[in-house]
Amino acid sequence: MVQINFAAREINCKVVYYGPGRSGKTTNLEQIHATSPKPCVGEMVSIATETDRTLFFDFLPLDIGKVAGMQVRFQLYTVPGQVYYNATRKLVLQGVDGVIFVADSQRSMMEENTESLLNLYDNLKENGYDADSIPVAFQWNKRDLPDILSTDELQRVLNPKGLPASEAVAFKGIGVIDTLKSIAGLVLDRLMKEYGGAAKDRQAAPGRPGTPAPAPPATTAPGQASPTGAAPPQAQRPTSSQPAAPPASGPQPAPFSPEVHRPAAAVPTQPKPGGPPPSPVVAQPPKPVIAVEAKPPAPQRTAAPSRPEPAPARAIPHAAQKGRGKADRNKWVLWIIIGSVVVITALVYVLITVMSN
Amino acid sequence: MKDAEKLRRRRLVFYENDIKDINATLEGLLKVSKAKAALLIDIDGHLVTKRGETASIDITSVAALVAGSFASTKQVATLLGEPEFSVLFHQGKQESIHISLIAERTMLVIMFDDSTTIGMVRLYANEVSRKIEDVLNRNASTEPELSSDLGGEAKNKLEDLFKGQ
Repeated sequence: MVQINFAAREINCKVVYYGPGRSGKTTNLEQIHATSPKPCVGEMVSIATETDRTLFFDFLPLDIGKVAGMQVRFQLYTVPGQVYYNATRKLVLQGVDGVIFVADSQRSMMEENTESLLNLYDNLKENGYDADSIPVAFQWNKRDLPDILSTDELQRVLNPKGLPASEAVAFKGIGVIDTLKSIAGLVLDRLMKEYGGAAKDRQAAPGRPGTPAPAPPATTAPGQASPTGAAPPQAQRPTSSQPAAPPASGPQPAPFSPEVHRPAAAVPTQPKPGGPPPSPVVAQPPKPVIAVEAKPPAPQRTAAPSRPEPAPARAIPHAAQKGRGKADRNKWVLWIIIGSVVVITALVYVLITVMSN
Repeated sequence: MKDAEKLRRRRLVFYENDIKDINATLEGLLKVSKAKAALLIDIDGHLVTKRGETASIDITSVAALVAGSFASTKQVATLLGEPEFSVLFHQGKQESIHISLIAERTMLVIMFDDSTTIGMVRLYANEVSRKIEDVLNRNASTEPELSSDLGGEAKNKLEDLFKGQ
């Protein structure tokens, strides 16, 4: 949740980079850390495994300076992308104010993208959020690789409602800041809306799904972010399958739609004889290939596409329920014992009275 | 009540008067417990206020990591059938940290070394926690006043910050 500290004149917001493993979330933070002016950015903290895979989260504080008399700070987090780490992913989402979903544009990664997006929706829900009210921006990363899906395809499958999206090559820093600008605006717009700030026409601008804006939202090419963070007007609405935008009378928050198309039906996966071609080494961040082996087994990936619900996430409510059930049972046993004692005492008293007479 | 409304009510807003009172309380705590520093952070890892010797510590990172640690431990507690572990204590060779949850939305983090004891810190932490809880509950329903186009201005700031990128 946004923290507003009127004593320190500060606003603190939490933005989480979400997405499948190796999609470039940590790379986004590293680029922001490397390119930000030093007084504005703090130390980057990474809780990672020995093979540099995020274990808990990466953390980077970014101070963008005074806005309307308040110092605005963004705390940027990444989650571990691997399916196995869902419990920690859910923890990092607690208190989130905005999410950047970093998708890997490669055709072969589409199932992982879809799975991760559904998992985001599940985890937001389990954290008590109304998923539609959390600002979400998309980043189509790794646009420099061969065999990638077009942005239209990515939009259609992952972002049918056309939330703000940017193309990126994160390890070169391309598109990283565009995505950050998008989410920063959305988060603060939402804050203002919740506090009943002045209505902003900007919120009904193209790029905001759920508004009757005439121009369609779509992907922002690297370096083409408009000052408002909205999509450029020349971009085309990617699909006709988008739900009809409800009429809106005022500013709308950026709604997040969990309506992800299932990959089996929507992803134009092409069979690749002889397996997927190796990714060009020059285009990948310098991460050790061996790190792939550190990925824990993910049975969901090979199964039919279904909403992933890893065991740790289920275990928590189950254990709590079990504990509560046990407590209730103990309470009933106690009441039965007390009742029995009272009845026996009364019988003994009656018996003694009768005997004495 | 809708989820969005619930979240709005739980929003963390701190006013100048609250912070003044909290700072005075924390200073009193440091004096009597002989701890080195005391922080108040929110459960999302944002710093609320700090007192004591903090110049040599990256407080922002400490706040984020403590909040992560607390959230993680809370899940462990839930697995054991407890709602949460409301007090955490990390002991080092010289430096130690005592963390206690206050009003379910903030945490008091007390850093101390071997010039005092955990018993002393815990004793005063309990007392201070109650005082801070009173302060936090005092203005819990007050609405903040923000009257500006924050989103647009923030984007302009980011444009300036990353000019040419």
